[in-house]
Amino acid sequence: MADLRTLHDAILEGNAKQAAALTQEALAEGLAPLDIIQQAMVPAMDEVGRRFECEEYFVPELLLSARAMKAALEPVRPLLVASGIQPAGRVVIGTVKGDLHDIGKNLVAALLEGGGFEVIDLGADVPAQKFVEAVQSSGAGIVALSALLTVTMPSMKSTIEALDHAGVRSRVKVIVGGAPVTQQFADQIGADGYSENATAAVALARRLSQPA
Amino acid sequence: MTGRERIEARIHHQPVDHLPFMPITMMFAADLAGVRYRDYAADHRVLAQAQLQTAERFGFDYVSVISDPAREASDLGGMVEWYDHQPPAIVESAALLSEKSALASLRLPAMEAPGRMRDRIEGVGALARAVGSEKIVEGWVEGPCALAADLRGVNTLMLDFYDDEAFVTELFEFVVAMEIAFAAEQVKAGATLIGVGDAAASLVGPKFYSRFVLPFEQKLVAGIQALGVPVRLHICGNTRKILGGMGTTGAEVVDLDFLSPLGEGRAAMGPEQVLLGNIDPVRALRDGTPASVEAAVASCHAEAGTHYIVGAGCEVTRGTPHENVEAMRRYAREHN
Repeated sequence: MADLRTLHDAILEGNAKQAAALTQEALAEGLAPLDIIQQAMVPAMDEVGRRFECEEYFVPELLLSARAMKAALEPVRPLLVASGIQPAGRVVIGTVKGDLHDIGKNLVAALLEGGGFEVIDLGADVPAQKFVEAVQSSGAGIVALSALLTVTMPSMKSTIEALDHAGVRSRVKVIVGGAPVTQQFADQIGADGYSENATAAVALARRLSQPA
Repeated sequence: MTGRERIEARIHHQPVDHLPFMPITMMFAADLAGVRYRDYAADHRVLAQAQLQTAERFGFDYVSVISDPAREASDLGGMVEWYDHQPPAIVESAALLSEKSALASLRLPAMEAPGRMRDRIEGVGALARAVGSEKIVEGWVEGPCALAADLRGVNTLMLDFYDDEAFVTELFEFVVAMEIAFAAEQVKAGATLIGVGDAAASLVGPKFYSRFVLPFEQKLVAGIQALGVPVRLHICGNTRKILGGMGTTGAEVVDLDFLSPLGEGRAAMGPEQVLLGNIDPVRALRDGTPASVEAAVASCHAEAGTHYIVGAGCEVTRGTPHENVEAMRRYAREHN
């Protein structure tokens, strides 16, 4: 009998091989894909986020767990698509134009994915137009923008303006973050939300995904 | 006292006339000199002129050749993206050591040959000739974790700590040997202190910091000190869980980022360690007022105690009002 607790622990401990095997086992035994996600994967990554926030986990542990979660999610994803099950939300994420720093963005993406969101990761140094196109093609409800440099923060503003000019701004919530970014700056550029760290970004995305 | 005498006296726990003042400036200095950052990072003559102008304008006790973390990676053959108005950055998706096997064929760059490391060495020479014995001339090298991340890709290196300890050790060995050689050339050119920037070290947590990073930082610091100059260690980011270890690197000056309170640094490193920093460069220094900046520096001074040097938590950011930098200087001049 597949043990979801063991799968939860395998993700928490970053054991990708075991996590993938246990997921296959659970699916073979007929467990519903959504149950596997909701009862093992999401709680495991929530716990990873909690440990990261209180400095029991650091970047290596977070990335290790994210890798295990991805391995576990691999066989589940096509089944979700086939059965028409919707994710918690769809997020387009990227580090803005001119900024090649992506570690913070990757941490947020990992925790969002672990939180049940479908994440479309555009990478680093992403032009505004690419965010627009990703929103148009994916129907994402959230755009998450990251910047590590004070000099690239203006690209957040120009990305929001590009979403506006393309007529998709009202369809999405824009959230921003990164070391030099502040709530005051988020307000100034017309973002819908700001978060100080990766775990708070997931809570913010969940809040913004709720129907008004 | 000259700026150099002031810093050296502080390092050796001797009396100073007032607090030494050593904030990191890069884009701020380029802007002050009215030059593109691309030129500042590419041409040591531009960098030296801007550093001299900034140090003179704000009464810094030192000048520095710090500009970006990509010099070493660039000379080793790594791909670097250049921008007109911000520092060049390493392209992680094309990391030099994306294949681990590439490490075996990596060789120390020839530092006498033209390149970005040579440019830094010549920058040190230009600054040393200009300031004489008036100010400290700070050379700069990457720390083991930072350069390893530059070469391997920071995301990949973080997983390597779990996946392949032997590779990480071999990579760190290479990096430390290279940086000691780079520091030696800068000392020969006239550097009177070497700064070590080990940004990625703040990401790894205390377990890997003490097992992997700290021993190599200690080796690097000892290697630089054997050249006859002191060391300033700067690790960007939140280092609260590794402060104790940072206090055992042997670096004469530990420069903390704003996320790590100086009071915690003092408690973790003991009463003798010289601490530098660390007001929030954006929220306190750029967005503050002269009065709030002075208050923030006073708070840092109170937390750090006697063995203290005034500076910001990290680089003084572009757009910082000049009167706020002057407020830092004013505090430094009026206290010791």
